[in-house]
Amino acid sequence: MKRRETSLFWRLVLRVALVLCGGAALLSAAAWYYARAAADDAYDRLLLGAAIQITANMTVDAGNLGVTLPSSAFELLGLAERDRIFYRVVGPDGRTLTGYDDLDTGVDVTAARTGPVFLTTEYRNVPVRVAVVSRALSDPSFSGWAYVVMAQTTEARRALAGELTSRAMILVGIMSLLALAGTVLAIRYSLLPVDALAAALRARDPQDLTPVDADMPRELKPFVGSINHFMGRLDERVTLLQRFIADAAHQIRTPLTALSAQVDMLEDDDLDVNRKRHLGRVRDRVSQLARLTNQLLSHAMVIHRSDSVRFKPVDLGDIARKAFRSTVPITVDPDVVVSFEDSAEPVFVRGDAVSLREAIANIIDNALQHGVEQRLAVRVRREDDRALVEVADDGPGIPPDEWSAVTARFVSTKTGEGSMGLGFAIAAEVAVAHRGTVRFLEKGEGDFTVVLDIPLYQEGT
Amino acid sequence: MSMWRQFGPLALGAILGLASPAGAVEGTRAFFPALEAERGRLVINGATDIEAMEPLIRDFQETARDVAIDYTDYVTNDLYRDADIACRLQQLFGDLLLSSSVDQLVKLANDGCALAHVSPATRGVPAWANWRDEVFGFTFEPSVMVYHKDFVPPEDVPHTHGELTDLLRFKPDYYRGRIGTYDLRQSGIGYLLAFLDAQQASTTYGRLLESLSRAQAVLRCCNNAVLSELDSGNVYIGYNILGSYAYAAARRNDKLRIVLPRDYTLILSRGALIPVGAKRRDLAGRFLDYLLSERGQDMARREAFFFSRGGALPAEVDGPAKLVESGIGRPIRIGPALLAAQDRLQRSRFIEDWTKLIVDTPVRLRPN
Repeated sequence: MKRRETSLFWRLVLRVALVLCGGAALLSAAAWYYARAAADDAYDRLLLGAAIQITANMTVDAGNLGVTLPSSAFELLGLAERDRIFYRVVGPDGRTLTGYDDLDTGVDVTAARTGPVFLTTEYRNVPVRVAVVSRALSDPSFSGWAYVVMAQTTEARRALAGELTSRAMILVGIMSLLALAGTVLAIRYSLLPVDALAAALRARDPQDLTPVDADMPRELKPFVGSINHFMGRLDERVTLLQRFIADAAHQIRTPLTALSAQVDMLEDDDLDVNRKRHLGRVRDRVSQLARLTNQLLSHAMVIHRSDSVRFKPVDLGDIARKAFRSTVPITVDPDVVVSFEDSAEPVFVRGDAVSLREAIANIIDNALQHGVEQRLAVRVRREDDRALVEVADDGPGIPPDEWSAVTARFVSTKTGEGSMGLGFAIAAEVAVAHRGTVRFLEKGEGDFTVVLDIPLYQEGT
Repeated sequence: MSMWRQFGPLALGAILGLASPAGAVEGTRAFFPALEAERGRLVINGATDIEAMEPLIRDFQETARDVAIDYTDYVTNDLYRDADIACRLQQLFGDLLLSSSVDQLVKLANDGCALAHVSPATRGVPAWANWRDEVFGFTFEPSVMVYHKDFVPPEDVPHTHGELTDLLRFKPDYYRGRIGTYDLRQSGIGYLLAFLDAQQASTTYGRLLESLSRAQAVLRCCNNAVLSELDSGNVYIGYNILGSYAYAAARRNDKLRIVLPRDYTLILSRGALIPVGAKRRDLAGRFLDYLLSERGQDMARREAFFFSRGGALPAEVDGPAKLVESGIGRPIRIGPALLAAQDRLQRSRFIEDWTKLIVDTPVRLRPN
């Protein structure tokens, strides 16, 4: 089962949605409560009006209490079209004068003397709203309190309350959806800098350990600060490591030179074939070690110079020729044809001559060590506003899927035999320092070619 | 007895003549067998003459050929009393109640004795003729005055309640004992119409009542009893007669003429209600739907009740052309306002007052 990815966005949306749902439920409940109160209030007035009309129609005639039920009272209640009406008129002696004898609300009717009493109850198994209204009779022959108990079923009230509630709920629902949509937009907008930060970090050069300097909202500052702090420490570590490597290489060089001399002094005439072969291998390994140590030193130097040396315009053709001469040994295999082809006019770049020569030398050296079979050609030329140094050989070349790897440190297509290839790493380092690249041209019709590509020096830049 | 001549072939129960005493506890019963093999039997208890219902029942059976109908005719008060008792005791009392005394049906519905019925047909019923989908008005019957042409000269013909009052005042001797109307004590519909008269125009009603008292009005239980007195010439003018019965009588006797009062005319819509205990509420609903349907309304206008909501007045009826639109016709709204009429104190007081005036006033002179 796939572990669910936590998302800041969904966390926020989910929580806001929960709060909104809770709020909507609460508001709906409140709306229902108020709607019911409003419906009760509205229809209670009708109920009270009808009851008062009946009390107003009470008459005392010859010591007898009489009451005429006005149709208008029932018409008033009939405004709640579907509701049934029950009533009871109670005389001062507590007897029911007319109406439904069994309409007993359980309420003490005398409580209605101070004002109308309303209550909700059940009568004949249906919920009813009841109003009790009193009237003081003060006929000389007849005095006391008479009451009218007026009850009405609650269909119209419920219908009104339901309608009010559903309307309110529609509004609440719309508001909640709007709020949620707004929240989604706001969260998306707020999280944009996070994406921007991620993009900035992703777009960074792997070698670049300088602090991140992006326009971030305050809330992200601690995060960016931590990243920068971490990168600073990493940078320190890397510098330390480089220095250590350079120191180590330097330390190793002296004993290595001595070792090399000692090995050379070994006479191999009196050795049997087997031992001779072993000695030959020791010589090979020592020279490999010497080369690697040189490369390490060269690498350390290049890095050091890229940080500390001021660039100035230099002729790349000149530098390439020097590198070519110093690298291709006089004792090169006579079967190999080497050639150097300079540009017709000077190719100026802005850079450090020492580093550039080191880079070109390493590329040529690499070709000699790993590629060349019969032909090695070095060409310097300009193409638009680029200066190119091309080193072509007829060797097997490097397969395209390894191109990106070989420019990293300590990687070679030939692991285990020959030297660990620091050459391309040095070249790439120098190229980057000069805002250029090291490219490869696949072995096709022509030879496998390594291209050092650096922008031309332009007046004023 | 002539009114019952069409009734013979189908009557199963006792046949009560027109002159039979009102308040008969047992109703007149008629059975209409199913046209095909019977698959259901609908029991209708009505306070509506079988004669008026028969064409409707027969036409309904054309649409429901496997339904037999058992119809019992009651006097309104008896119907209400029995239905009320059945409701209280949770007993069976028919599948459908029909009554002209709609206030009694409203009271029954208010007391929870009715089942709601909703169908496409009931949705077409105007609001004033439908309460809670439980009580439906299915007819349109103006309350009219009927006079006998041979005994009432044209200049005497009353066109308003006031004119009737004046007529009795100016020619008391001629009309003494010649005015027929309901006996409120026996007739629910009579009480309802009188109660509403008192509400519509209390002064006019008071004066009219006094005139009727002085004129020694002839009191009968029912419409048809008053109409038969008119038919035989014993009574010259009938007051508060339901237009449908009056028209039926006038069709048989062309001496009888109908006047719709021009000050106001109460319009009654006969009510139908499905009681709570109904065994075949499905059939009751079907019959009710038929009564409310266009076909049923059309049949009622042609054969049973002769007046209709939308249609013109029948020929030879003297009345305003546009009854309801003119404001003269006042439909009795089927609704809780009718509960006031059904209040027992109110009712007893009203009838008591009426009895004191009409019945207990000493007789000074006997007609003829």
